[in-house]
Amino acid sequence: MVFLTSILTLILMAWASPAYVAEKTYKIGVNLEFTGPWAEVTKTMRNAMVLEVERINKMGGLDGNPLELIFEDNGFDLGRAAANMTKFTKDKEVIAVVGPFEDNLQATTRAIAEREKITNIIICPSNPMVRALKQKWAFNIAQSDIIVSQKLVDLSLTRKYKKVLVFPAAIPLAKSLAEYYKRFGEEKGIEVIISNETHKPTDIDMTPQLIKLKPLLEKEKVDAFYACTAGPPGPIVCKNLRTLGVKIPILGTHAFGFGFIIALGGEAMEGVEFGAAKPVVFDQLDENDPVKSINIDFDKLMKERFGVGIDQLAGYGHDTIGLIYDALKRSQGKFTRAAFRDALENTKGLKSCHGIYNYSPNDHDGLSKKDMVFVRIEGGKFKRIKIPEFE
Amino acid sequence: MDSWLYYFPQLLSSGITIGAIYALVGLGFVTISRASQIINFAQGEFVMLGGVITFFLLNGVKLPYPFAALIAILIVILIGFMMHVLVIYPLRKASILILMMATLGASIFLSSTNGLIFGTLPKTLPPFSGEHPFRIGEIPILPQNLWVLLSTFILLIFLYLLSHRTLLGKAMEASSTDPLGADLLGISRNLMVFLAFGVSAGVGAIAGILITPLFFTNYSSGTLLGLKGFIAAVLGGWGKNSGAILGGFVLGIVESLSLVFIPSGYKDAVAFVILLLILSFRPKGILGSPYMDSRRW
Repeated sequence: MVFLTSILTLILMAWASPAYVAEKTYKIGVNLEFTGPWAEVTKTMRNAMVLEVERINKMGGLDGNPLELIFEDNGFDLGRAAANMTKFTKDKEVIAVVGPFEDNLQATTRAIAEREKITNIIICPSNPMVRALKQKWAFNIAQSDIIVSQKLVDLSLTRKYKKVLVFPAAIPLAKSLAEYYKRFGEEKGIEVIISNETHKPTDIDMTPQLIKLKPLLEKEKVDAFYACTAGPPGPIVCKNLRTLGVKIPILGTHAFGFGFIIALGGEAMEGVEFGAAKPVVFDQLDENDPVKSINIDFDKLMKERFGVGIDQLAGYGHDTIGLIYDALKRSQGKFTRAAFRDALENTKGLKSCHGIYNYSPNDHDGLSKKDMVFVRIEGGKFKRIKIPEFE
Repeated sequence: MDSWLYYFPQLLSSGITIGAIYALVGLGFVTISRASQIINFAQGEFVMLGGVITFFLLNGVKLPYPFAALIAILIVILIGFMMHVLVIYPLRKASILILMMATLGASIFLSSTNGLIFGTLPKTLPPFSGEHPFRIGEIPILPQNLWVLLSTFILLIFLYLLSHRTLLGKAMEASSTDPLGADLLGISRNLMVFLAFGVSAGVGAIAGILITPLFFTNYSSGTLLGLKGFIAAVLGGWGKNSGAILGGFVLGIVESLSLVFIPSGYKDAVAFVILLLILSFRPKGILGSPYMDSRRW
């Protein structure tokens, strides 16, 4: 009996192997934080993906076969993120998995992706520890920590900052941003001090830490303060710093490019500068910018359907589907996960909301420094600043 | 350590503000426990609801600020009453432990529903008067900090008068300390607990409105505040209004000053270390708790 069962299982397994994936629909697993602190942010991304998939299917999908999105909520929980990922890998029709969003969750899903051989597209600058692993199946579609830091170094050079104090959050992303900023900054002759004081994403008051840093700011004659953080701590740091009477310029990360950040920080956010993704200021891009029209068209679509325009996350949603569609087109005839991965890795010059995507076996961060712009917060709005030598 | 003296007054002023907030949350815990011995774990959620509902009334319904705040307080009091009617009253015959678990459930329900209705992004309110700090010596102070302190003071006096100078307050306390005696005297214990939930929800909502301009409020921020407020109430002496106030300030100031000596990453741990120390060496709290027999310690 046991013998029979195992034979049957073997036959079933052979039959269900990726080579025989049904050719009816291309399923894309989406493993995002639909509940929890990022619920509102990921909703935008979900809307954008739905919109893009509908548009592609209306045009006949891929050789008449539609794309299909399968949403699973990971609830900002490591266990659930891993369970969703495993579930997707077991469904042979799922060709790739998108998400999660949070740093530590994606480290896990990437490991599962590597083991189960399925493409995992993630939306967050990769952290260097994971990058060193050279994972074959993980692709990053966001601006990586390296280019964000390089862009900020360019900004600091233009502003002639000689000495910058970095106040990092105690999360892997912020730590690697701080370290890359230090490395690239010191190559260009900027003195970068990374503070020993950190803050947690859940801290509601940074005043004590900043009080401790204030004498250092004055003693070392620091030119600028780099609030190396993401989410609500950004505006909290700016508010607390201004309340303490510190007047030096504040630099931010690309994670400052959300409307709610300005709403929270109010007046304290005025004059904060950072390198941002193009969708943040898509209407202020140069006329000859290759992706301006894509953003404007997509913004119109989003407004018609959901009543709100695009932001960074909507851009990532658009780009994810665009990349998957493009890679599927190029893996024509072969519908295996491996063929899809190879096609995605060979993506060259794909124009989408955030910029031009180029992947190669050595580079799984699709965007380059050219795909970011400098932004300054002025009058409660994001305003693009042009620095000709670094555009 | 030459800059030790330099930090000190500034850290103290920042600790006093956050201490006032812990004190307000702690007061809410004490109010309910004085009437019923229940520890209401949804106290932090009342704080969060106060801030978020005011935000909605101000920006969604476009009411004037004072009006929005007042209506928000009334709504939260109503939620407090409903919580008693729907959660506590049906379980009135169950043990205190089960009631506490029920409040924990109510807290999860309140924060998740809030996230669904009003969204999960943090929210802020404009400060009551002016955004610019003024200075006392070297220390910058926001006008809002003074509002927090003033309101804590007024609420303390109000709760003191309520519990020590009115028949209602005494009836509330009696129904907790001696349920049988209260029954014999014709005090409706259920009514007393009902009213206590209203008062504590109101105190929570006021705290929420006061702190939202300083610290942002989102659907989940009630949990940590509730926990810190609870620690404050235990620290000062469980069951005493003055204990909650003192505990709140002590906790806030120690947390803030601890930064002089330890890295900021351990800031949250300080509260719990203090709680452990208090529980092992002086379980009745700084001022002593009426619920704990002091002769045993």
